[in-house]
Amino acid sequence: MTVATPHQRTLPKQADPNAPLLVVEDLKTYFTLESGTVKAVDGVSFRLDQGEALGIAGESGCGKTTTALSLLRLLPSNASIVGGSVKLMGIDLVPKSDNALRRYRWREISIVFQGAMNALNPVQRVRDQIAEPIEERMGVSASAARKRAGELLELVGIPKARGRGYPHELSGGMRQRAMIAMALACDPAIVIGDEPTTALDVMVQAQILQLLEDLRAKLGLSLILITHDLSVIAETCDRVMVMYAGRVAEEGPVSEVFARPRHPYTRALLAAYPNIHADRRTLEVIPGSPPDLRDPPPGCRFAPRCTFAMDVCSVEVPPDVTFGDVRVACHLFPAGGDGAATGGAAS
Amino acid sequence: MSASPVLLEPTGGRTRRWTTRAVGWRSFLSRLLHRPEGAIGVAIIVFFAVLALAPGIFVGPLETVTNSSGKRLEPPSLQHLLGTDNLGRDVLNLTVHGARISMLIGLLATVVTLVIGALLGIVSGFVGGRTDTVIMRITDFFLVLPTFVLALIIAPIVLDIIGTGEILGIRTTLFVIVIVIGITSWATTARIIRSQTMSVKERAFIDRARVIGSGPWRMMRVHILPNVTGLIVANAVLIFAGAILTETTLAFIGLGDPFAPSWGQILGASQDAGAPGLGAWWWYVSPGVCIVLVVLAFTLIGGALDDLLNPKARRRR
Amino acid sequence: MGSRYLLRRILQAMLTIAGIVVLNFILFRAMPGSPERMSHNPNQSAAARADLRARWGLDQPLFPDQFARYISTTLQGDLGQSYKYKGQDVTEVIANRVWPTIILFGLGELIAIAVGLVLGAYSGWKRGGVVDYAGNGASLILYSMPYFLLGMILLVIFATALGWFPTAGMFTLGETYSSFSDQLLDFAHHLVLPLAAVSLGLIGQYSILMRSSVIETRSEDYITTATAKGLSESRVLRGHAVPNALLPTVSLIGINLGFIIAGAITVEVVFSWPGLGTLTQEALEARDYPVLQAIFLILAVTVVFANLVADIVYGRLDPRVRT
Repeated sequence: MTVATPHQRTLPKQADPNAPLLVVEDLKTYFTLESGTVKAVDGVSFRLDQGEALGIAGESGCGKTTTALSLLRLLPSNASIVGGSVKLMGIDLVPKSDNALRRYRWREISIVFQGAMNALNPVQRVRDQIAEPIEERMGVSASAARKRAGELLELVGIPKARGRGYPHELSGGMRQRAMIAMALACDPAIVIGDEPTTALDVMVQAQILQLLEDLRAKLGLSLILITHDLSVIAETCDRVMVMYAGRVAEEGPVSEVFARPRHPYTRALLAAYPNIHADRRTLEVIPGSPPDLRDPPPGCRFAPRCTFAMDVCSVEVPPDVTFGDVRVACHLFPAGGDGAATGGAAS
Repeated sequence: MSASPVLLEPTGGRTRRWTTRAVGWRSFLSRLLHRPEGAIGVAIIVFFAVLALAPGIFVGPLETVTNSSGKRLEPPSLQHLLGTDNLGRDVLNLTVHGARISMLIGLLATVVTLVIGALLGIVSGFVGGRTDTVIMRITDFFLVLPTFVLALIIAPIVLDIIGTGEILGIRTTLFVIVIVIGITSWATTARIIRSQTMSVKERAFIDRARVIGSGPWRMMRVHILPNVTGLIVANAVLIFAGAILTETTLAFIGLGDPFAPSWGQILGASQDAGAPGLGAWWWYVSPGVCIVLVVLAFTLIGGALDDLLNPKARRRR
Repeated sequence: MGSRYLLRRILQAMLTIAGIVVLNFILFRAMPGSPERMSHNPNQSAAARADLRARWGLDQPLFPDQFARYISTTLQGDLGQSYKYKGQDVTEVIANRVWPTIILFGLGELIAIAVGLVLGAYSGWKRGGVVDYAGNGASLILYSMPYFLLGMILLVIFATALGWFPTAGMFTLGETYSSFSDQLLDFAHHLVLPLAAVSLGLIGQYSILMRSSVIETRSEDYITTATAKGLSESRVLRGHAVPNALLPTVSLIGINLGFIIAGAITVEVVFSWPGLGTLTQEALEARDYPVLQAIFLILAVTVVFANLVADIVYGRLDPRVRT
């Protein structure tokens, strides 16, 4: 097995080679609790093209992680996808049975979890954890799988010998690297990083991000990076999708969205980020807290905290409007305004 | 089992303190009863508690050899709903009276266990240092010891020394059993209370009290104790179940009192008389079922309490 | 495996055993009524009794003389003479009764560990569904039932009523066997019911333990990772959930050994199984203190060893403690 380039990957049998890599349309994932139904993801749509890096930003509880877990249906037993579609190379994963879905896990989409201390099996050797999917999913012999695991460890900058140890014997940064190596084991098309650098200190953070960049270039990976840290997205991603309370607020190329944020929430997020060059001032905070998703407010979910809220905001759900490459869902930007085309979700 | 449901800061004034506590308990009780395990468990315990309080009202005085009401080893019939034993005594009568003895011993043994365990736990956790180390060594020692065997051999020695008769209105044998269970079962309680004490100790108001100049005993009584009470209650439930099982087993192998028969004593007597071999199942199944019900009830309540006090585990049920 | 961990554990075990020996001394030589309680043996000749008093230094002060003698005589295996068994050496009395107990409880533990852990893992993983509720309910009831009660019920059903199994003892009384296999068969026939009583009780406990351990493990992140890797459900259970869920369970099994002694003694009584359990009851009844003391010593030390073994096993299973 050599390191694959985009051209050498074998596509799944049902794949449509002309379809975009990943298209998510109107995804809805709800949790059933004793106290009610939590609408954690309520109509999220986005698209990921080959070789792209998409960042999903938003505060805790906005549904970013649930969206990612929904792609592979890694949800807990009290959650389920109640609507929408997830089309991977044209194949809709939502209606597939659990068994059929297994084919796509790790081999097409893999995921690097946050806080890799808990995400790695504490009683299994690191090298074996990486080799496991290679052996089980790719039908490779145990020794060949272990050899490949060693190669992957070297690829992410961990000496092969450390692979024989256990997760608790590695530092936080090395564990994260090991998780990345594990995510690459079956040569996936898409790697999802769920807060991959949150638990690390800044220096290590920079190294991990650089590693992801290098791997993306070398292997032609497509990335989905989930984080609440906008600086990470600014550095690593091509496009950004800002989520709030289970819905998409704004989505577009990083350069455009960060330079010219439209949605009030995006603006508030960017403003909250302290500027090291500016004069010292008090931190800007967004007042209030996210809504209870068991009983979300009608209309725009950000309205209660929005400084620009109008009457219509608490009544009608703002439609998705596209301005060039950017998509916004805000009544301040109705269709036809801003000198751009009308339309629905990005196609 | 971790934090108590409500952290109480004494607000001064005795009446206010009591009100806060009472309100906390009432809502707690209703939350407990809302869960099916909690409701079933409490119902069973209440049933047996009522029986235990006044057994004479339900079945008349305890039958003995002299006033046995039936023929020997009769199977259940209309006159003797649970049959009779080898002395002709009505098993229903014995079982209901046995409820009183078993529950009483269980209760008293639990109290002794909790007093010793809580005392050592609070002192150990609060004072810390060398005292803590010493107490913990002893506690760990008792945790490893097979306490049942210890109870088994202390009991006859103590009985030997004290003799028979009555102490404080209870027959000596039972009194000794209570004490013996108490002094062998306190170790787990001490551990649990100690860790809770250590975490309460870290709260700010303890430092405030120390600055004012409160003495250690006062601080332990007034500040620590209210905040570990919840944990003590939760622990008490499981201790009670264990105490009943221990007493039952001790009585079964011969440390019961034939004049104040507990369920275990009835079981032991039936085994000695060869009841299983003779097919006289009613004799021992009746008290046996009662034991299982009571222990099951406490286990269910304990489980429900654990859920209530440990919200972390509530997340994914 | 880390030798420091092992050494520490062994040291602790030895300290505990030392404590047990001291406790034993206090109970049997230092309580009011001793030393007569230990030396007043109706089945011993006056000369033998005097010899005992001399050997154990019973006329000498408690500390350090009697204590020192106590340690040395105990280490030599001199545990006195039994009251009940006509002055026979305690060590001999006990030696006759050890094997039946070891067989009954050894087998019972093995069966319970094998069945209980599998049952618990399965019901903890599947959660909900008939097997879980039925199994959990049955386990709860078994858990609340004293082992001897279970034994008595099994006896009356399968021995008395159905007549499939004998009601007492280890062998049929007065039977002569034409071959070893015949004897073995008779032994096995007698073993079934008491073994069932012990196993069922333990299975109830172990399956509940394993079930809750698996439930807790299930919500860990590395299980999500394993599922995300597209591994089959059985592989995730066997390779990831169970090895981690076993850890607290193994500890608890070790600790549990001290608590099942009560059950051990009483089950033997119910089935008249001639082991240490029935010996304990007999000794209790006869106030045969030398035997009681010896049983306590042996059982306590055994429990300490069992805990040590459990700790060692834990050390092998959990790489995080091997420092």
